[in-house]
Amino acid sequence: MNSSSLQLVSMFVLMVLLQVMLFNNLQLFGFINPMVYLLFIIMYRFESDQTLFILLSFILGFSIDFLSQSGGAHSIATLTIGFLRPLLIRNAFGVTAEIPTSFYNDSRTLNKTIFLALIISIHHLLYFSFVFFNWNAIYLILKNTLLASVFSLILIALLSSFYKKLNDS
Amino acid sequence: MKRILNALVQFRNPILYLLLLGLSFFFLDNKSSFHQSQLEKYGLYVSQNLYRVSHQIGNYFQLKKINEKLLQENKALKELELKSKGIPLYPSALKVKRRFPFQVKAAHIIKNSFLNQQNFLIIDKGAEDGIKEEMAVITDRGIIGIVKSVSNHYASVISILNQDLKINVRLKNSAAFGTLSWKGKNPIDFQVEDVVMNAQLEKGDTLITGGMSSYFPLGIPLGKISEFEHDIQSGYYTISTELFEDPSQVYYVYVIENLDQKEINELKNEQP
Repeated sequence: MNSSSLQLVSMFVLMVLLQVMLFNNLQLFGFINPMVYLLFIIMYRFESDQTLFILLSFILGFSIDFLSQSGGAHSIATLTIGFLRPLLIRNAFGVTAEIPTSFYNDSRTLNKTIFLALIISIHHLLYFSFVFFNWNAIYLILKNTLLASVFSLILIALLSSFYKKLNDS
Repeated sequence: MKRILNALVQFRNPILYLLLLGLSFFFLDNKSSFHQSQLEKYGLYVSQNLYRVSHQIGNYFQLKKINEKLLQENKALKELELKSKGIPLYPSALKVKRRFPFQVKAAHIIKNSFLNQQNFLIIDKGAEDGIKEEMAVITDRGIIGIVKSVSNHYASVISILNQDLKINVRLKNSAAFGTLSWKGKNPIDFQVEDVVMNAQLEKGDTLITGGMSSYFPLGIPLGKISEFEHDIQSGYYTISTELFEDPSQVYYVYVIENLDQKEINELKNEQP
């Protein structure tokens, strides 16, 4: 097992544990749990194998579901975001030549923010849609999506810069 | 086989995605009864719409079959209707049990003409379907003609748009008999001759078949009197009439068989 795989696995485990042990119990304002485990999806190298990545996304979502007893909503949202990630990368970073090899290798703040916002908002929208799973709760879904997205975005941005510094040193 | 494998490899990501998505839904379904019932609700919504669409499409393709079925039903009803036509004219008939010697068969016109003075048409039932010469052909609102010759699967019919064909008719509200024939121009303009002068006529009176010929049963409505004139010299009315149905624009017809025709003809021939 080479170092990058090791890093991958350790990050995976770390994300799952962080989410389940810490962030799922935050309950900001009583109902907001930021979903920081998306950092794994964001940090995963852009150029690597998509099939493996879809599988990993599913396992990530499924692990969170499994450990937080939340049905299949995390799995569906994470799997879908993993499947859609190449599309979102193209949308956020532009044509093929401009796409960086990984999230922390890029220095364009605007593109990175757009990418983060896209991934987080789509994921959250899917997640809350499947949690409430009712057309009549559409306002509740949108409200939760908006608020939780903001907090997830802040936390993930913070953590990603932290990650970058760690790698640099 | 190689192509299928290639396609599988090429689309492995979407396939994997859908597979795992299905798995997630399965977990969602198993985990909470709320989601289970919601999923069932949405599933029901989708399936009911699917079934409705497929039902409608299926219905569309069955229309022909349904038409045929309705035609068969109409045939049976026509027989009943013909049977009942005579009753209001002779109320006493209600009390007496009567024979009704007519039988009805459904058919389609496959060739029609109205441009000549002697018109014929062809129907898609023949000897194998029990059609014989001299059977009457009617529609739901009038009469069409009389079968002239029969092949195995088809029959040719003398149209009433044929100046040689004379039909025995009477008025609905008085038993004044006459002879209906085509004027030879407009397919719905006919004339009735030989109605005796002492009959009471009015414009708009309904003409029905007279039941005197062995072809048509009594009481099939044909048309209305549009105008009439006395002919003082001959002592008969000459009546112009308009048919209820244009015989040149008919597709579904009924062939009527008079089961007693042979008997009647024998009696006719015995007369000197």
